[in-house]
Amino acid sequence: MEVHQRARNYPESGFDAPIPDEAELTAQTRVRPGRSYGFFTDTTLCIGCKACEVACKEWNNLPADDLGLTGNSYDNTGALSAHTWRHVSFIEDNVRAEISRPFQSGWLMMSDVCKHCQTAPCVEACPTGALFHTEFRTVVVQQDICNGCGYCVPACPFGVVELSALDGKAHKCTLCYDRLKGGLEPACSKACPTDSIQFGEMEALEERALRRVRDLEARGIDDAYLYGVPGSPGAAGGIERLNAFFLLTAAPERFNLPVAPSRPSDRTMPSLAAGITAVAGLALAALFLFGRSDRT
Amino acid sequence: MTLVQGGPNDHALPSRPNGTYYDLPQVKAAPFKSGAVGTYVFLAGLSGASALFSALLSRRRRRYGDSAIRRADALSMLAPTLGAGLLIYDLKTPQRFYNMLRIFRPSSPMSIGSWLLVGFGGAATAASAGEMLGRHMKLGWLRHLGACFRVPAALTGVGLATYTGSLFAATSTPRWAAAPKSLSVQFGASSVASAATALAFAEPRSDLRRSLDLVAGAALAVELAAAQSARRAYRAAGIQADGPMPIRDQLGTLLPLGLIAASAVCSPGPQRTLSRLACLAVLGGSLAMRIQTIEAGKSSAADPRVSLRLARRTHSAMRK
Ligand code: SF4
Repeated sequence: MEVHQRARNYPESGFDAPIPDEAELTAQTRVRPGRSYGFFTDTTLCIGCKACEVACKEWNNLPADDLGLTGNSYDNTGALSAHTWRHVSFIEDNVRAEISRPFQSGWLMMSDVCKHCQTAPCVEACPTGALFHTEFRTVVVQQDICNGCGYCVPACPFGVVELSALDGKAHKCTLCYDRLKGGLEPACSKACPTDSIQFGEMEALEERALRRVRDLEARGIDDAYLYGVPGSPGAAGGIERLNAFFLLTAAPERFNLPVAPSRPSDRTMPSLAAGITAVAGLALAALFLFGRSDRT
Repeated sequence: MTLVQGGPNDHALPSRPNGTYYDLPQVKAAPFKSGAVGTYVFLAGLSGASALFSALLSRRRRRYGDSAIRRADALSMLAPTLGAGLLIYDLKTPQRFYNMLRIFRPSSPMSIGSWLLVGFGGAATAASAGEMLGRHMKLGWLRHLGACFRVPAALTGVGLATYTGSLFAATSTPRWAAAPKSLSVQFGASSVASAATALAFAEPRSDLRRSLDLVAGAALAVELAAAQSARRAYRAAGIQADGPMPIRDQLGTLLPLGLIAASAVCSPGPQRTLSRLACLAVLGGSLAMRIQTIEAGKSSAADPRVSLRLARRTHSAMRK
């Protein structure tokens, strides 16, 4: 990878102000409002170092969740939560079996994150407007508006957003909204040492991801596919695309991802209409019964 | 899977329990307090349907008089007062409850419901206040003014009695999402039944009481049918349904249905007793059904196999 020309202007570390458009130096992209940004997480490059989890906690000042061992391989984080916005899952696939291919090829690791759905079920569920699509087409909870009703929690088809018991508000990945506004790439993708997490503009990212799938195919890895780009698993039922999408080499369910998430708001009107019809029918029956001539 | 023999790690690893990720939940359960929210849903149904009844009865005022209308009005005040209080109590940042009215979002039943509750609260209060004050102060115009709010109160009341079904259906919680239509039909019918029996409970006129009981009977039958169709959907989705017809449902629907049927052939005295027993069963059953729906939904979110299977089914349905 070549070094961006502008990088030569900053030979020292330790700056008193952020580098203008720093993302251009670290992720080959300029962050501009009105465009669509996201993450491409390539699981074939993940080494399970959890640098993303740490960088996220550090930058966003997130409190620790449970400290302890889960017994589920090296995954001691467990799941995404109000205080954990990146979560590396570990799957040991025949790692110790005789049939295991050499060089740790049985390991599956994936850094999970909020999918920043287009369109997002959590946004569609939020009654206060606290959850919204930003000018970067990412999905963010406005902390000064959320009143902790918790309706986004069961709405999310990926089990991402959660209420914090510490402040009674909903929290999830903001795709580093503050950093994007300052022209920086998100903390996790910047920290990722293998570029398993890549930040960029959606069009460029999706193109890069498709190239990667083809490249892997050429190298004999024929089970690689994208999860969350239009027309692929993960982008279904009215959820057009996920701005955080993935390259996987195993069934989505292995990573606790649904093949076809559904859009909960699609059920609002049919459900409402059925209920109102039933009550209206009963009201008509009541009107008729109240109008009957006396029997007794 | 063949393991390398004799090594220090010579044991089967729980790497792939049933193809899920360590059997951990795939979706998060709603953080609602089941008791508080269940009671709100019950009260919203009771009040909404009561406002509907007071509008219907005010069309037959000459025949049945004012007293039934006033009782229905009193019931309709439960949701905007006690009900709204329970909702605010369930918020995790209750001091910001008014943010519910910051926007209107038609895709969100929570937003639809907030506005319904406000609209209903206003209309039902205006209608009952007009009725009551107009009567006490002998002001005909006040009564007429209140009467203008009857229809808006009834319409928002119908919404209030049913939207709670879609509130749960429009989520990713497997048990709520599996039967969106049946769920709100069940909620709506149960609301009508609870309001009708509650009005019958205090109704001295036997003809109106019998009519109210018949409405309740019809509503219970609709509720039963909806509950059965929901149970079929749960079974198809692999959600643990609680038996073919749990005792709670029997006590809340079959028992009062039987009591109402028996009362229909009785003379007014025993009819009233049976009708009152039916009312207690309906109210208890209606409340329990709501709380149990919330509880069962929350526990269905814990099983990743259910939510993932639901997603697979949607996937193959879409491919067809
Ligand atoms: S993954 Fe969940 S929390 Fe993230 S945008 Fe989609 S619905 Fe919202």
